[in-house]
Amino acid sequence: MPLFLYLDRQSFVHRRHPLVKVLALLLFFIAAFVMEHPLFILPLSAGIGVLVLLSGSAPTLYRLRILFLFIGIFTTLIWSFFYGRGARLTALPFLPVTQEGILFGLGMATKLSTFLATSALFLSTTRIEEFAYAFTLLGLPYRISFTLTLAFRLVPLFVEAAFTVIQAQRCRGLDIHRGHLLQRLRHYVLVLIPVFMGALRRADQMAIALEVRGFNSGRPRTSYQRAPWQMGDALALLAALGVTAIYLGLWRAGYGRINVAG
Amino acid sequence: MEKEREVFHSVLSTQSSALSADAIHLDQVSFTYADTATPALRGVSLQVRQEEMIVIIGASGAGKSTLVKCLNRVIPAFQTGQLSGEVRLFGRRLVHEKVGELAGTVGMVFQDFEAQLFATTVRDEIIFGMEQLGVEQAEMQRRLDEALAQVGLAGFEARDPTTLSGGQKQRLAIAALLALRPQVLVLDEPTTDLDPQGRQEIFALLGQMRAAGHTLVLVEHELAAAAAADQVVLLSGGEVIAAGPPDHILPQIETLERYGVRPRDVDRLFRALGVNGCPHDVEGAVEVLRTSFTWNLSKDERTSQQDTRQQPFVLSPLRLCSGQASTSSRQAPSKHETQPASLPPLLHLQSVSHIYPGDSPAVCDVTLSIAEGEFVALLGQNGSGKTTLAKHLSGLLAPTQGQVFLRGQELRQVPLHKLAQEVSYVFQNPDHQLFADTVEEEVAFGPRNIGLGTAEVEVRVHEALTAVGLGPLRKSDPFLLGRGERQRLAVAALLALRPRVLILDEPTTGLDYTEQQRMMDLLRRLHREGRTIIIITHVPWVAVEYAERALLMAQGQLLWDGPLRGLCGQADLCARASFRPPDITLLGLRFGRTPLSVDEFVAWTRGNAERSFIPSEAKS
Repeated sequence: MPLFLYLDRQSFVHRRHPLVKVLALLLFFIAAFVMEHPLFILPLSAGIGVLVLLSGSAPTLYRLRILFLFIGIFTTLIWSFFYGRGARLTALPFLPVTQEGILFGLGMATKLSTFLATSALFLSTTRIEEFAYAFTLLGLPYRISFTLTLAFRLVPLFVEAAFTVIQAQRCRGLDIHRGHLLQRLRHYVLVLIPVFMGALRRADQMAIALEVRGFNSGRPRTSYQRAPWQMGDALALLAALGVTAIYLGLWRAGYGRINVAG
Repeated sequence: MEKEREVFHSVLSTQSSALSADAIHLDQVSFTYADTATPALRGVSLQVRQEEMIVIIGASGAGKSTLVKCLNRVIPAFQTGQLSGEVRLFGRRLVHEKVGELAGTVGMVFQDFEAQLFATTVRDEIIFGMEQLGVEQAEMQRRLDEALAQVGLAGFEARDPTTLSGGQKQRLAIAALLALRPQVLVLDEPTTDLDPQGRQEIFALLGQMRAAGHTLVLVEHELAAAAAADQVVLLSGGEVIAAGPPDHILPQIETLERYGVRPRDVDRLFRALGVNGCPHDVEGAVEVLRTSFTWNLSKDERTSQQDTRQQPFVLSPLRLCSGQASTSSRQAPSKHETQPASLPPLLHLQSVSHIYPGDSPAVCDVTLSIAEGEFVALLGQNGSGKTTLAKHLSGLLAPTQGQVFLRGQELRQVPLHKLAQEVSYVFQNPDHQLFADTVEEEVAFGPRNIGLGTAEVEVRVHEALTAVGLGPLRKSDPFLLGRGERQRLAVAALLALRPRVLILDEPTTGLDYTEQQRMMDLLRRLHREGRTIIIITHVPWVAVEYAERALLMAQGQLLWDGPLRGLCGQADLCARASFRPPDITLLGLRFGRTPLSVDEFVAWTRGNAERSFIPSEAKS
């Protein structure tokens, strides 16, 4: 079962320098963040959508479809009910549904979905080592970025171990999906114990394996240059900067907000 | 201090040109792990010269790993305890170096290759160490290409290591070390978790590295690679029992067996036939036998080597697994399908295919029956589909096409608590199955799940623990048991459910010879009591010595369903599925027989003694 979102393709987006991807991710987040009105966020969402299609990352978005649906519906509903400002559309005393509230809810849903889609695009096109490399270039200590990569690398292994443990328990007559909530929780603990013990054993071995390969060698590190800087990188970064600048400009000029009547 | 270390590294590099110094020199090294009373190493002394290969053998707990971990200070840096004696690398005494500082000097590969790989591409895996040691970009690229070429993984740079086969993963782990240009390479049971194909890959690579002048320290619990070494050291209880060149150590059959190492078939045969010599491989043994004896084989005997009594079931390997199940032309049905029609077989697979999402078929249109009381070996290399097939037999996986029947009832309709008492599956790694605080709790878990009362649970626990010989340890913590004991505990935990069928995935992996025999004798006893046993195994002698029927898988297809002896006689079929019969069988095949044990080979030569051979000693 593939747990990584990374998709091994050769698209324009994949080929970008990891630093450009990390910066673009942050810039697009800022651009989406400053807007409230859904109609102002949508062009950005559409742009991300085009990049998703161009980079062949659509399968990732499809895999996350439930999450998108969940975020879309719940955000819209919750903000519609609790926004509170503006003219009420219902007479319910505790649920002040307003037209502005609905609009704000839709804006929030679009914003969060755009965040999610941008992150998914990033993870589908950037290897763990690449973004750790980018973080190191941005000044994050190597040990922290390495720990981060290791965590990503280990999660799928633990999930795999968990599936094996579930099967092993099944052979002993335990169906973890049965029983009431408390029983199920207890069953999950029975699965987690072997997984956790296995993780500890593995961590122990891995620590040795890391040092055997020179981790903690006490010598100055070098960094393999994972991606040479290309013309396309400069263009992509400029484009991302441009988009964000436009968004910030609109925000400064007072666009993209939801005006509450009265 | 820093300066001193720099000097050390330069000393090492200048000394490597002078072959006079010992690469490794241990003088009276003893080590006792913290919190234990008995020492793991007692006064071990040995010397390894540069460009030599030394093989350290011994049973589990003999101190093999402890010994090699002293070479780069993993002991005492990671595992604390009392270390005494002297460890010298290239004449320099190790005192307070960090493990990481020695990375460029001693490379170390471990049994568990999964725990040694931590990158998402092959390239990053190899670069990792070089970055730590501060290798420059251009040099890094050169070493990367060189290391990949050396282990035969050129062109794999962008691959995700998790998608590689076991042998490839272990080769990648070795390449990652080779890129650091260590002067000594230590391999701690590098082939234990590999299938025969992967083992061959590693042994071939070892041969190359030896030719290239690496100093190699290899730890193994078997002798496959020992014949090619310069020195073999047998350890037991932390002490050196015997040490010397292979032709001195390998023929000491009684000593090896006493200390838990399986002697080679060839050495046992030579002893029984009174032949001298210690050939490297089967080919060498054939040479010796040809010159020592006059083989007088009749033409008749050469051709009638196959057991023709049974018509095994050989499938064409060219069928495709498509959406429409091809109920294609099947050759002669196996003997197991020709039982009385009134009794449905214990287990029956009907045209079973299994396709993992987005993958090629793992199992492709397999039909077979297993009768009550059989002992079956499921063979094939990793990725051939044997585990997937076995999981269908136990209901852990449902077929994407076809059906599985248990005594004529479709398996997916059998409720879990009932299924658990019919078919059990023992996973390869016992640690995936153990979680309780005590041995008895572990065993009681299953019986409680199926709703048995306290008294009955106690009866089952007692019965199961007695069967596996863990009765005296019932109050112990499972996590503190040895690997062999944990493996037997995993079996006991399932035996307590009194299943009719036991399926075991690699029941002997990670066990030494004594533990392997103990495990397999347990299975033989359970089989004689009437249980059906199915083992998935890579170990040829285990399959040949214990099982009656072989199922051979390759690329998801069942290539052979029939007796083991018949399979061993089919050289091309074995080659196609990368199944390597035991050495004694391969040796026998060269003389037109298919012996499954040394005794059979010896009996055959003796039976034909008057007319078929004359010992060369008698001639001269």
